[in-house]
Amino acid sequence: MKILIIEDEKALRDELSVLLKNSGYDTDCVTDFTDTAVYMKKSDADLILLDINLPNVNGETLLQDFRRESTTPVIMLTSRTSEIDEVLSMSYGADDFVTKPYNPTILLLRISAVLKRTSKNVSSQMYHDAKVSTVKGSLIRGDTEQILTKNEMIIFQLMLDRLGEIVTRDELMTALWDNDEFINDNALTVNISRLRTKLADLGFHDAIETRKKQGYILK
Amino acid sequence: MKLSGFIKDRMPAYLIFAGTLLIMIVFLFAFHISLEAVIIISVIFLLGGASAEAWEFFRKKSFYDKLTSDLEQLDKKYLLAEMTESPEFLEGRIIYDALQESDKSMCENIAEYRRDSADFREYIELWVHEIKLPVAGLQLMCHNDGNSKYNEQLKHIDEYIENVLYYARSGNAEKDYVIKAVSLKRVFGETAVRNREELQERNIEIHTENLDAEVMTDSKWLSFIMGQLMGNSMKYDADSIKVYAEDMPDKTVLHFRDNGIGISENDLPYIFEKSFTGENGRTHKKSTGMGLYIVKKLCGKLGHGVSADSVQGEFTEISITFGKNELYKF
Repeated sequence: MKILIIEDEKALRDELSVLLKNSGYDTDCVTDFTDTAVYMKKSDADLILLDINLPNVNGETLLQDFRRESTTPVIMLTSRTSEIDEVLSMSYGADDFVTKPYNPTILLLRISAVLKRTSKNVSSQMYHDAKVSTVKGSLIRGDTEQILTKNEMIIFQLMLDRLGEIVTRDELMTALWDNDEFINDNALTVNISRLRTKLADLGFHDAIETRKKQGYILK
Repeated sequence: MKLSGFIKDRMPAYLIFAGTLLIMIVFLFAFHISLEAVIIISVIFLLGGASAEAWEFFRKKSFYDKLTSDLEQLDKKYLLAEMTESPEFLEGRIIYDALQESDKSMCENIAEYRRDSADFREYIELWVHEIKLPVAGLQLMCHNDGNSKYNEQLKHIDEYIENVLYYARSGNAEKDYVIKAVSLKRVFGETAVRNREELQERNIEIHTENLDAEVMTDSKWLSFIMGQLMGNSMKYDADSIKVYAEDMPDKTVLHFRDNGIGISENDLPYIFEKSFTGENGRTHKKSTGMGLYIVKKLCGKLGHGVSADSVQGEFTEISITFGKNELYKF
């Protein structure tokens, strides 16, 4: 997955790029803003992060122009906290709108949500040989089906997206809260242990490994 | 303008007139003019003087009466100059011209301040936009370095920046918000996620109920308002926050309730006033008395009602009332 970053503030651009690379995305940055529109259209990126305040051109205008030719998802980044900007951006076809300073975890969640929403094969994600049904909120392996609660599904989904990588408790917590599940630390521990039991019932023993002080890995 | 007042005001002139008449009568008698002739002359003289005075009184009365009644009825007294028409008598015209001149100068003066204040607010908006870039940069750097040590301080910086921005917005006469249907759940969710670390650090439980309602508001402003309320709950030792909405036919009321230290009965009526810190402000050093003041002003601009209820040591509940106006919906 490749993400194009259009941000004129160099420090931010570089840090964004590091953040995205650390999360397993390829990045491409616009550094010369004389022909941003052309660059944008030529890019083969799967998603574009677009700042609103750019030299020479306004991000909203850029987006409006870009949308006539492409459906590549665009997330607007801005430090302007005005509803007008958000309404405008969304009406010009932005897929999401994130205000600076952003919580990096939330930004990553938003990016993955937008990518998932716009990619074609949403419905059938697989975990080894089990089918993940987000619609039914369940895991199906052979003849057995395990129903996951909303919380368990959010946790499982995030771990699955980062299969084999460490997912921190902080990230899990952010994802849960971002989905209006305002649970506390203990509840998270309980949810993870329930998820473990459910996975074990499906035959995936020790699927979630705990890394002390770091987080969890789904294997 | 009352007749008695007018007569009193003109008294010196009448005395001079009476004196002149008396001297004249004395001279007329000295010249042996008959009594009848003296009476006739005096009566003509008095009648002439009285009708001149009556004419004077009535033409002034109509101007001044209109002036005072306009002044009484005007809600914005400074508009008086615009309501007044130039009268026919000299004094009135002088007053009228002076009034117009002074009004013009006042308008210019106000326009200048208005410009200054708009400029200043524009600069604040720009400055906020600029200062957020390094804050965003720092936040990303911390995250990328795996260092969460500075997060809390950075969050506080961001909050203080927002306070300045919304204080500037709240005092401004311009309409710089967008009213549209907003999901209470979404706005509360955003606010909660933003404050998650601090809420969890303080072990604050969050309960939400019936937040599916949509209200007509500006979501950014509402999120700021909720952030202020949440900040207060944290500041005043709550360990549970309950947020729920009541949907009524003509309005939606959002209740934001915490079980913090509460507000004393004496302080309760003043908590929305500027710089009011009260009893809690003395025991909790961080109070500035600005948070709820800004909340009230923002609610006022958006057309929402806001009220508070509290029992010291038990709870504090802030309620925001959103009107339902079908005309607003697109």
